[in-house]
Amino acid sequence: MSSIARRPRRTAALALAVPLLALTACAAPESSASTAYDDWDAVLADAEGQTVQLWMYGGDDQGNAYVDDILTPAVAEYGVTLERVPVTDTGDALNRVFTEIQAGRSDGTVDLIWVNGDNFRTGKEADAWLCDWTDLLPSMAATDPDDPLLQSDFGTPVDGCEAPWHKAQFTLAYNAEAIPDPPTTLAGVLDWAEAHPGRFTYPAPPDFTGSVFVREVLASVSGGADEVPAAYSDKAFDELSPALYDRLSELAPSLWRGGDTYPANEAELGQLFADRQIDMTMTYGPATLTDLVADGTYPPETTVLPLEDGTVGNASFLGLPANSDSIAGAMVVANVALSVEQQAAKAQPDVWGQFTVLDIESLPDDDRALFDALPTSPVVPGYEVLSENAHGELAAEWVPALDEGWRTGVLDR
Amino acid sequence: MSFAPVARRRGSARQLLRGTLLVLPAALATLLVVGGGIGATLLQALGLMPIAGPVTPGIDAFLAHPRDLAAATGVSIAVAAASTVIAVVIGTGAAVVIASGRAGSRLLAALGATTVTVPHLIGAATIGLLLSDAGVLPRLLGIPPESWAPWVGGSLWGAVIAEFAWKESAFVALVVTGTLATRIATYDEAAALLGAGRRRRFRHVLLPLTAPTIVICAAISFVYALGSYEVAWLLGRTYPEPLPVLAVRLFQGVSLASRPEAAAVALVTCAISLAVVALTFAALRRTAVWR
Repeated sequence: MSSIARRPRRTAALALAVPLLALTACAAPESSASTAYDDWDAVLADAEGQTVQLWMYGGDDQGNAYVDDILTPAVAEYGVTLERVPVTDTGDALNRVFTEIQAGRSDGTVDLIWVNGDNFRTGKEADAWLCDWTDLLPSMAATDPDDPLLQSDFGTPVDGCEAPWHKAQFTLAYNAEAIPDPPTTLAGVLDWAEAHPGRFTYPAPPDFTGSVFVREVLASVSGGADEVPAAYSDKAFDELSPALYDRLSELAPSLWRGGDTYPANEAELGQLFADRQIDMTMTYGPATLTDLVADGTYPPETTVLPLEDGTVGNASFLGLPANSDSIAGAMVVANVALSVEQQAAKAQPDVWGQFTVLDIESLPDDDRALFDALPTSPVVPGYEVLSENAHGELAAEWVPALDEGWRTGVLDR
Repeated sequence: MSFAPVARRRGSARQLLRGTLLVLPAALATLLVVGGGIGATLLQALGLMPIAGPVTPGIDAFLAHPRDLAAATGVSIAVAAASTVIAVVIGTGAAVVIASGRAGSRLLAALGATTVTVPHLIGAATIGLLLSDAGVLPRLLGIPPESWAPWVGGSLWGAVIAEFAWKESAFVALVVTGTLATRIATYDEAAALLGAGRRRRFRHVLLPLTAPTIVICAAISFVYALGSYEVAWLLGRTYPEPLPVLAVRLFQGVSLASRPEAAAVALVTCAISLAVVALTFAALRRTAVWR
């Protein structure tokens, strides 16, 4: 019996070893890629007939509809087919790129990713982005070259490795029926939450929205956004983070379900707000609020909460993976997406309501009129109001450090 | 007295060779896929297959989050065990009723067959809509969210266990019914003719004869619940996370180091599953029917 059993075992070990050895052979390829193009006409010529896969967060119906109904037909005029690939998290798209790079594929399936922040930084660390290509885009001329939001992405220099797409502003919103006298600072929000147990919560980091909320609290407990150095250092983290985690731990018993658990993402937080289980919600895309109130999902009294200490603002981009097999097509899509017509269309509240990255002041009168004519939302004030006292994002290195610290310092007490 | 419904005999050398050759294509494909997958995961976990940078062999990935890993292992095993026990009890009971051919048995069989076809993701979404704080059930019963027990995201993992138990019990019921419908039925009838009551027949005839089926079903159900991501992610809580949720979170993590850590968590899940399968076969060898 035993000798019979042993032989197949040896065979199995051998059969396992062969693919293992084969896999060891595929080491990650060295790829510090920058574009091979130096002429826009050549890009246009190559782009004709290409299919571009745009990987983006798929949970935003308005964003999906904008890409499918407005951006896709616009790039089709250049002979480029745009396919939207929905993902639950931008990390999924980046992971796909990493997997393909790991497998040594130079004809990658991911051609564009809606990206910013730590995902961009990680991609840059791994040399996964094509760089120095955005200067080629004719539409870049309408952006402000000195705009800090477009120069660096969460402290990581953009270096032409991604094309700007739109701006976002972190925003809190509340049910005015439940909160007749809303707080005016973030510290006030936390105090209000403690005075009204169970009516407030935030998504658990590393969720994007939960993560930015934690950074806002860091700014608040540190005495203002200016007190937190944008560049990450262990020293700054060790100095500033204890106060943050102490404050959030102290707050936890007053949260929804006594801080026993947290919503996993912005969608779950929004569900609690829609169900009237909590009275305040938060989002990086305030534009969605208009529709959510109009269709009755959110309470009709939903109101944006302006904070005296301001909130964080950032820009998001379209990144082009270095191993894309439709580089020219992807550049054309990025260029069209940045055009005045597309930026103005996308800013319509009933389309997507995303804030433009273009420098409106420097636009010709006709183009500027497109933005001046945008209707105002009854729920969401304009970008100038939302971004009042706004502060920039901390360096991307802060994000995983703060998120991990939150898991050990607040969640797992 | 022991039953031996399947006589075991060793074939001739030619028959053995023929059998091996017939199985070989399937075995090779399985080995390549499973071996390749586990192999690649192992390489990543041991730092031998980095996305960028030099190869740094070591077991750091396994030691990166000891507390999270321990908590995840605990909650994964607890949830899988609880849902498996419930599924086996309900499924076996349903199978006995279905096989008895009494009133309602057809309805029960149809219910079981329908349940098996519903994907777990749909099941999880449905259970979530039904049992969450402001879900359909509390609304129908007029219970405010604050007074409703935290099924979804609660510390007892109620909704997750309910989903697995509901789906897997239908699976157990169908498979066990299949076993009961074989010649076991004749043993049952013989025992009945000899005057054995319903309870004695269940204990001394049906249960021993279906035990291997039940043990295998339990193992499949346990391993599935242990490795399933979507149900735990949708209906579970943010901490502690079950192993697959921890693995996916790390896999999607933004730092380049988190991929090997995710691979390490996946390997731990794999090792537990393999251990459960090995235990199952050890247990099967002890059953009367197997001998």
